[in-house]
Amino acid sequence: MKEKLGKLTENLDYTLLLAVVFLCFYGILVLYSSTRISSSSIPADPFLYVKRQSLWIVWGFIFLIIIIFIDYHKLERYSQLIYFVAIILLVMVIISGRSTYGARRWLSIGPFDFQPSEFAKIALIIFLADFLSKNKLKLDNFFYFLLPFAYTGILIFLVFKQPDLGTSLVYLVILIMMLFVVGAKIKYLMTVFLIALSSVPVLWFCLKEYQKRRLILFLNPNLDPLGGGYNIIQSKIAIGSGSFLGKGLFNGLQSQLNFLPAQHTDFIFSVVGEELGFVGAILLLGLYVIVLWRGIKIALEARDLLGTLLATGAVSFLFFHIVVNIGMAMGILPATGLPLPFLSYGGSFMISNLVVIGILLNVELHKVRW
Amino acid sequence: MKESSNVPEDVKQRINWLLIFIIICFSFLVINLWYLQIIKGGEFKERAVENCIRSLVEDAPRGHIYDRQGEILVTNRPAVVISIIPAEVDNLEELSKRLGKIIGLSEDVIVQKVKKHTDNPFKPVQILDDCKKDIVIEIEEKKEELKGVILEVKPRRNYLYQELAAHCLGYVGEIDKEELQKLGNPKFQGGDIIGKAGLEKYYDDILRGEKGGKEVEVDALGREIATLLFQKPVPGKDLVLTIDKDLQIYGENLLYGKKGSIILSNPYTGEILALVNRPSFNPNLFAGGISYSDWERLSSDPEYPLTNRSIQSAYPPGSAFKIVTAIAALEEGITDRKRKVYCSGTFKLADQIFTCWKESGHGSLSIIDAIAHSCNIYFYTMGKELGIERFSKYMHKFGLEEKVGIDLPAEVLGIIPSTEWKQREFKQIWFPGDDINLSIGQGYLLLTPLQIHSIICAVTTEGEIYRLHLVKEIISPEGNVVKRIKPEISRKVSISANTFQIVKEGLRATILKGTGWRANSKELSIAGKTGTAQNPQGETHAWFAGFAPYENPEVCITVFVENGGEGGEIAAPIARAMLEKYFEVKM
Repeated sequence: MKEKLGKLTENLDYTLLLAVVFLCFYGILVLYSSTRISSSSIPADPFLYVKRQSLWIVWGFIFLIIIIFIDYHKLERYSQLIYFVAIILLVMVIISGRSTYGARRWLSIGPFDFQPSEFAKIALIIFLADFLSKNKLKLDNFFYFLLPFAYTGILIFLVFKQPDLGTSLVYLVILIMMLFVVGAKIKYLMTVFLIALSSVPVLWFCLKEYQKRRLILFLNPNLDPLGGGYNIIQSKIAIGSGSFLGKGLFNGLQSQLNFLPAQHTDFIFSVVGEELGFVGAILLLGLYVIVLWRGIKIALEARDLLGTLLATGAVSFLFFHIVVNIGMAMGILPATGLPLPFLSYGGSFMISNLVVIGILLNVELHKVRW
Repeated sequence: MKESSNVPEDVKQRINWLLIFIIICFSFLVINLWYLQIIKGGEFKERAVENCIRSLVEDAPRGHIYDRQGEILVTNRPAVVISIIPAEVDNLEELSKRLGKIIGLSEDVIVQKVKKHTDNPFKPVQILDDCKKDIVIEIEEKKEELKGVILEVKPRRNYLYQELAAHCLGYVGEIDKEELQKLGNPKFQGGDIIGKAGLEKYYDDILRGEKGGKEVEVDALGREIATLLFQKPVPGKDLVLTIDKDLQIYGENLLYGKKGSIILSNPYTGEILALVNRPSFNPNLFAGGISYSDWERLSSDPEYPLTNRSIQSAYPPGSAFKIVTAIAALEEGITDRKRKVYCSGTFKLADQIFTCWKESGHGSLSIIDAIAHSCNIYFYTMGKELGIERFSKYMHKFGLEEKVGIDLPAEVLGIIPSTEWKQREFKQIWFPGDDINLSIGQGYLLLTPLQIHSIICAVTTEGEIYRLHLVKEIISPEGNVVKRIKPEISRKVSISANTFQIVKEGLRATILKGTGWRANSKELSIAGKTGTAQNPQGETHAWFAGFAPYENPEVCITVFVENGGEGGEIAAPIARAMLEKYFEVKM
């Protein structure tokens, strides 16, 4: 055990770990700025959100440490089990989940509320990494190539039912990126892409009214500047008005006066942009770049394909969330409601972010046999 | 312990591609961030401030306008305006439907109005102006279902006597783009009400007062967080006019159905007692923003009801101008009390023949008789002998090439022909025939009724023209006199007393035995000159310019009836009625 601990401290990717720690601090600071003034007229504890988020960060690190200690090769045995647990949890959400804003996303276990869709992201990464690393060569067969789509499709379907368009897209992106890395034929990937594209008009009818509206408003937010388009316009004003140095922490007009909706969750990047300016936003992007770069490095240097794919899945997950969230805040991508890793307020998401970092560190640690 | 990577090369290749993709995406984010924050940063900064500072304007009530007896002519009344604050509306379509039912507008119209104003969702968008009491009550009752609808009370200009003295009073309206540019921020903002014509415009600075209001910081729900600035509106000052309401009404009735104007003033103070213009318009139409159809109707009316004829149009003065010819001839020694000219009915100049209005001729006439009977031949003779150069000297003495000056905007200049003028306008020399035409106020000469009035004022006072004005006093909202307008001589006309005496006698003779006999009054000794001016537009213009009483003048009068006919027949009786009314009111 002592020897193991020694190896662990020796081989840990400190750059990655440090970047994540900085991100968490950064997130706490911005979260405090955006939540210290209550939006309701009832005076509330200005540290309420910060306290809860901090607690979740602590829980996240506990999970992270636990994961580091388990050699990822042991996951192989449980990958199918994890996958089924995810499906069961998602079904339970649909049956008995707690709903907010017209969507059922939460499951209560004892005193804890959590989002199974977050757990399912990790389950999917593990399951696909295991499946793809074992069947790499068979993927040349188009039927085998389609099989992971079926596995992922089940999860997508269940999340889509909640409904949660954003998260189902995350699953799809994780799958495609992992398929791409494992060496699936570009021809096949293109075929799937073309089929998907041609089915867009069909899918359009499956979208809920509010999802259609979001897409339309993304294309032209000025259609309804006070309704759905309001978020996007206010967010752009906030980010733009931050200019080079920002208005200073706690000084954002837009954020402090609650012009920004969901400014502590989906639109937290707007607060960064307004209060910390271009400099603060670039600093944040820099930290993300470090995380993703270390992730790619870990994928490249992994001991085996399983490790590579686990790292790829982790990177894909974080990357997609970052780009879509920031793109949405700047009004260049549609509002899909995807939170920003390490910054957005929310327990399940924070824990899943740190678990994914745990997986990356794990792959890095075990790139050599010991 | 060696690294033992079992990762196939093709996978590593794919990972590198993935890396490139990630780099591209992040570059894209950085570029966009640069665009939003650095390039467009300033613009967004302004929008962020606009977002949370709300200016609530409180209009200052404009000053009242009274007549010389203290009778109120123009006041303000509260008008209720229905507006929607877009930011406070949950469902615009639903609200528009409900509101539309009450105020009688279609849902679409309301939705369109609100959607047009997307700049600041907290700024009330005006839906219906000046709405009726029963609508106000219904909206108050249904307040809960009309979230986002507000009722604002705004002072609205109220011209109590509708068309009365409309051209003097003028009207108000929303400031337009040009005015905004000229007058500038921060004093004015779009939507401000300012004087657009008449006294409302000329005395706008005095009448307008100072807008009040407050700037408040609001949060996203529109709740006021802090008041940054607060200023009470300062009401405008009141005007007391020189106009007498009863005389004005009387005059307007005299000209009812005609086109023209009447100017009645005190020649020793310049106070205008009545300034009548017909046809008229109702300035109340402008008070809340004139409707397109009303504007179309007024501005395309061939009778030009919006034109203040007394100062904004110049006409040939006809025989009324013989006063000036007589003065010039007497002053230059061409004629005197005794010189007689024989009128056969025609006047020959080279091969041109000019006629008198009386075809059979007047026979032998002195200057006094010539004025009285308005004999053309006498004045042709004077004109011919005077010549344009000497004529010009006297027109200049009366200041005819300048504006008379009155406290109204947009006074126009007439046309005062001279050799230079003709050279400039027609590239022609001045012909002797032009002298003949000018001597009886025809030809190129055009004068505004106000200019004719200034001539008769100068004759009455024997050389002093007092600045004509409509405002007597300016009064603060508390009722104190801020300024009293004193009589002021605007021009001295250096003419000998003897000349004035002869002309005055001629003017009196006009009434007693000449063309102005219809102006003869039993109670009142009136003096004056008639004029019947030919013009290319049709029927002759009827003029009368005079004063009363003859022995001890108190008032001057100018009557002008556009295309009215004969001066003696049409204008003279109106002048008599007006003057008799003046002395009746005075008693």
